[in-house]
Amino acid sequence: MTEFGFKLSQSNRIDLDETDNSVFKKVAIIVPDIKLCFNCGSCSASCTSTHFKRVSFRSAILLLNRGHNKEAISMLKSCMLCGKCILVCPRGIDTRNIIINILKAEEEMK
Amino acid sequence: MVSPSENLNLNNMYKNVLVLGGGVAGLQAASSLRDLGYRVTLVEKGEKPGGHLNNWDRLYPGNITSSSVIDGYLSNSQGIRILTNTTIKSALKSDKLLTVITSSSEEITVSAVIITTGFSLFDATIKEEYGYGLYNGVITNADLESLFISGKIHNREKPSRVGFVHCVGSRDDKVCNRHCSKICCMTAVKQACEIKEIWPETEAFCFYMDLRMFGRGYEDLYYEAQNKYGVNFIRGRVSEVGEDENGKLVVKAEDTLTSRPLKISLDMLVLMSGMVKNPDNKALSAIFETSIGEDGFFAQPHPIVNPTGSSSTRIFFAGSATGPKSVAESVNEAKSAALSVHMLLSNE
Amino acid sequence: MKERLIFGYDPFVLPFLIGMIFIIAYLLVGTVRIILSLNNNEKKQLFRIFIPVNAYKIVKDIILDCLLHVKIFKRNLLLGYMHSSIAFGWFMLIVLGHIEVMLFTPQRNGIFYYPIFFRYFVMETEETLQGAFFFFVMDFFLLIILSGIALAIYKRFRSHRLGMKQTTKLRLGDNIALYSLWLIFPLRLLAESFTADISGGSFITKGINDLFHSFVSNPANTLPVWWAYSCALGLFFFTLPFSRYMHIPTEILLIVLRHVGINATSLRDGYSEAEIYSCSRCGICIDACPMSFEKKDVKFTSVYFIRLLRRREIAEQPADLCLMCNKCVEVCPVGIDSTKLKLICREINNGAISFDYTPVKYNSPLKREKLLYYGGCMTNLTPSISTAISKILDKAEISYVHLDKDQTICCGRPLLLSGNLKGARELINKNREAIISSGCTTLLLSCPICYKMFKEEYDLKGIEVVHHSVYINNLVKSKRIVLKKTTDTCVYHDPCELGRGSGIYEQPRELLSSMMLLKDSPLQNNESICCGGSLGSISMPFAKRKIITGGSLDNLLTNDPDLLVTSCPLCLKTFTPLNSKRTADIAQVVSEQMIN
Repeated sequence: MTEFGFKLSQSNRIDLDETDNSVFKKVAIIVPDIKLCFNCGSCSASCTSTHFKRVSFRSAILLLNRGHNKEAISMLKSCMLCGKCILVCPRGIDTRNIIINILKAEEEMK
Repeated sequence: MVSPSENLNLNNMYKNVLVLGGGVAGLQAASSLRDLGYRVTLVEKGEKPGGHLNNWDRLYPGNITSSSVIDGYLSNSQGIRILTNTTIKSALKSDKLLTVITSSSEEITVSAVIITTGFSLFDATIKEEYGYGLYNGVITNADLESLFISGKIHNREKPSRVGFVHCVGSRDDKVCNRHCSKICCMTAVKQACEIKEIWPETEAFCFYMDLRMFGRGYEDLYYEAQNKYGVNFIRGRVSEVGEDENGKLVVKAEDTLTSRPLKISLDMLVLMSGMVKNPDNKALSAIFETSIGEDGFFAQPHPIVNPTGSSSTRIFFAGSATGPKSVAESVNEAKSAALSVHMLLSNE
Repeated sequence: MKERLIFGYDPFVLPFLIGMIFIIAYLLVGTVRIILSLNNNEKKQLFRIFIPVNAYKIVKDIILDCLLHVKIFKRNLLLGYMHSSIAFGWFMLIVLGHIEVMLFTPQRNGIFYYPIFFRYFVMETEETLQGAFFFFVMDFFLLIILSGIALAIYKRFRSHRLGMKQTTKLRLGDNIALYSLWLIFPLRLLAESFTADISGGSFITKGINDLFHSFVSNPANTLPVWWAYSCALGLFFFTLPFSRYMHIPTEILLIVLRHVGINATSLRDGYSEAEIYSCSRCGICIDACPMSFEKKDVKFTSVYFIRLLRRREIAEQPADLCLMCNKCVEVCPVGIDSTKLKLICREINNGAISFDYTPVKYNSPLKREKLLYYGGCMTNLTPSISTAISKILDKAEISYVHLDKDQTICCGRPLLLSGNLKGARELINKNREAIISSGCTTLLLSCPICYKMFKEEYDLKGIEVVHHSVYINNLVKSKRIVLKKTTDTCVYHDPCELGRGSGIYEQPRELLSSMMLLKDSPLQNNESICCGGSLGSISMPFAKRKIITGGSLDNLLTNDPDLLVTSCPLCLKTFTPLNSKRTADIAQVVSEQMIN
C-alpha cells in the first residue's frame, strides 16, 4: 500500500506487512511461553518497578511481537527480576526467563 | 403435558431411573422422566433440593427469582422419590440393570442413571492476593447473592465505590482451572446493575479480561449497564488487594487499554468465583465407570452430537457436571438427557 | 619370610608400574597446574596448611570423608559400608603391604611395586607369629573389600536397596575404570591364593589354595593370574584421569583448599577445578534433586552438570534450570558447592545484561521506630502474612514501621541468583540507605529470600536482622503474647532459604509445638524438598514447577496433618492452590491462636 507523503514523521500505524518481529520469534523458540499471553495486565499491575518507571511486561512482549523492539526493551530495563509477575500470571508464563532472553538479545544486537 | 397414566408405553411404569444431584438439572431431569412414565429416585447430598439456586437471588434475562424456579419444580415433584442428605457409595452392574447402594445402605435397582452433580464454587481464599476472608470488604458473588436474598444488603453502609473482579479462579492455570466459567461476566454485570439499583450514587467498576456476553439478551444487559447504570468497565485483571489506614480496599490492576498501572480505593470488592469441578466427580466416575476430563468435569465421548451421553450405556449427564453452564442450558440438557434415557429404555 | 626371587623383579609388574608412573606424573602436573591457577592471595593462603588447627582439620576430614565416608554412612548404612569398605580396605592393604616390606625385606624398601606384589616375591620360611598376624589382617581387609565390591555390583542393578532410587549413568571411561576396579580385588585374591602355599596366607587365600590345590599348585597357572592382577591395576590407573575415580586423589586436594579458606570465583580456577574433579558421581544428589521427580529431567541434576563442566561442554541449561534449593550441596558427601558453580555459569551468561534503576527510590520519609518491618515483594501477594504480623505486633504492644507498605524495592536476591551482581548491588544500596536512615535497631522480615539477602549481602551494622518465625517465637518465650493450644495437627515445611539457606530449623518448630501437635514428614529439616516456586531457577517452566510442588506436597502430607504450615510467602503462594488441606503461614497460625 502506498504511504502518502503528507506527514513528516513515520506512520504511527502498525503495519503487519512490514513488521519485523524476528526478536520475538527468536525468544519464542527459547521460551515458547511468550506466545501464551492474553494481555490481562496482572504482571504490570503487580510489578514492583512500575511505581518508579513505566515497566510493563505485557506491553513489552506485545510491542516486541509488533516489531517495536526498542520501545519494548525500554519497558523492561527497570525490571528487578523479583518474580511477582510469575506468581500472578494466570497463564503460568515464565516471565523472568523471557525478560532475561529479550535483554540478552538486546546485548547481542549492540 | 402428558400425565403418567396417559403414557403410551406402560412398560416404563416398571422401570426405575436414578437422578444424581438435586440442582436445577436434576429436578428437571427427574420431572421429565416422571412425565415419561418412569419411577424416578432423586438423590441429593444436601439438606434440600435446589442446589446453587437456593443461594441465588435473581436470574437474568427476565429477572425472575431463583426461588420461583425451584418452587416451580418442587410443587410439581409428586411421583418423584427425593432422598436428601444421601450420597452414593457403590454401584453393581448387571446385564440391563444397575444396583446402586446409598450412604444409608439402601439398594436401589435402576435401568439408567443421570448424573447431574453440577459444579462447586471456586474457593476464593486460594487467590491469596485478593484477601478474601482477610478484609471485610472483600466478598464473593455468592456472598452478595446471599446478602440480596436475606435483604441484609440494606443493612450495610452505602459504599461509595464497589468493584467486581471477573475470572476469579477461572481462566487461571495457577489454580489449575484453565476453563472459562461462562456465566461470571453476566453475573458481574447483573450484580453491578443491582448494586446501582440499591445505591444509585455508588460507583461500580468491573475488572474484566474479556467480556464474554455471548447469549441472547446478554449484550443488552451490557448496554443497559453502560447506558442506564453507568457501570465502569476496566480491561485489566486485578493483581493485588490491600487495605489502607482507613480500612478502604486498595486495588491494583493494569488499565491495559491505556497501558497504565491503575490504583483505586474501594469500599466493597466482589469476586466472581468461577465454576469448578464438583470434588465428588472423581469418586463418582470410579463408581459409574465414566471418565473425567483434565479440568475435573465429567467427559462426554461425543460432546457435540451426544452431549448427554457417557462412555457407559446406562449413564447420562446433564447440566454443569460436564462443564460450566447457565441455568437455561442445564434445563435444556436435563430434558435432552431424559429423552436419551427414554430412547434407550423404551426399545428394550 | 625371605625373598624367593633374587632380582626381586618379574616382567608382570610392568603394567602396574607404567600405570603407576603415569598416574603419579598426571597428578603431579595436575596439582601444580591447580596451584599455579590460584591468585597470589590464594597462594599465600595455602601456607595456612601449616597452622596446626588447620592441619588437624585437614587430616581429620581426609580420614573421615575420604577413607571412612562418614557422611554417606549417615545417609545409608549399606551405601556407607560399600564406599568405606573399598576405600578404607584398600588403604589398609597398601599400608600393611609397606609394613610387611619394611619388616621382612627391608632391602626392597622404596620399590614401587614390591609391597603390591609382595606375596609373589617372598616365601615362607617358618611359622612366625608376626607373619601369621599379617596374613590374617591382609586377608581380612581383602575380604572386606570384596564384600564392598559385591555390594557395588549389586547396587548397579538394585540401587534402591542401598537407599538410592537412581544411580548415575556411566560413560565409557567410567565403565572401563569401574570394571577394572571390580576386577582388581578378585584377581588379587586369586593371585595370592596361587602362591599361598609358598608365601603363606590366611583363612581365605590359604583356604582357596587348599580347596583347588591341584589346579592352583600348577606353576604354569600362577604367572598368568599375577599378570592379570597387574594389568587390572595398570588399566585402572590409566583410565583414572578419564573416569569419576579421579575423585580419590582430588578430594584430598579439595579438603586442603577448603580448609585454608579458598573459594570458587570462576568456573576454571583452582578451587572449582578441584571441585569438578572431586565429584565421584556417587549420584546421591540425583535423588536429592527436586527435578528428579521427572525421570527425563534427571539429566539436569548436579552430578551431570558437573560432568558437563569437566568435559568443558555447555552447561547453561542445567545452570539456568536449577532451583538453587541447595539440597544437592547439603547431601554431597564431598561437599561440592554446585550451586556456587551454577551461579558462576549464570554470571557468565547473564552478567552482561544492563538494568537501569535510576528512578527507583523510597520517597516518603518514615516515622522513626526501633522495629522496621520489611515485607518484600512476595508478602505483597500474601496479605495474610502482613496482616497477621501486624495483629501480633499490636497484641504485643510493639510499635513498628512498615517500610514497604505502599511500594517496595526488591531485596536484590533474585537478581543476584540470576547472575547479575551489578544490578543486585544497586538495589542493595537503595534499600540499605532507606533502612539505615530509618534509625531502626531491628529489621523484621517475613520473606526468607529477603532474610538471607539482608543477613549476608547487606552491611547493616548494629541492626539485628530477624525472620518473623524467630521473632514471634521470642515474643512467645518472653510472654509478650500468649498462645492457646488446639487439637489440630500440622506439618512444617522448611523453606529452602530459611532452612538450608540460613540454618533456621528449630525456632519455627518450637513455636508450632507450643500450639499444636507437629507431625513429621519423611524428608524435613535440611532434607526438605523445595516447594517448586523458587526464584532461584531462571528457566523452569510452570509445568515442571507444578510437578515439583506436587512431589513436595506428597512428602509433607505423608502423616496426614490437618494443616501445612510454612514461613515463606512464596512457599505459601505455591502450595495453596495444589494443597488439598489448608496451607498457612506460621504468623497466621499464631494470630489465630493468640489469647486476648
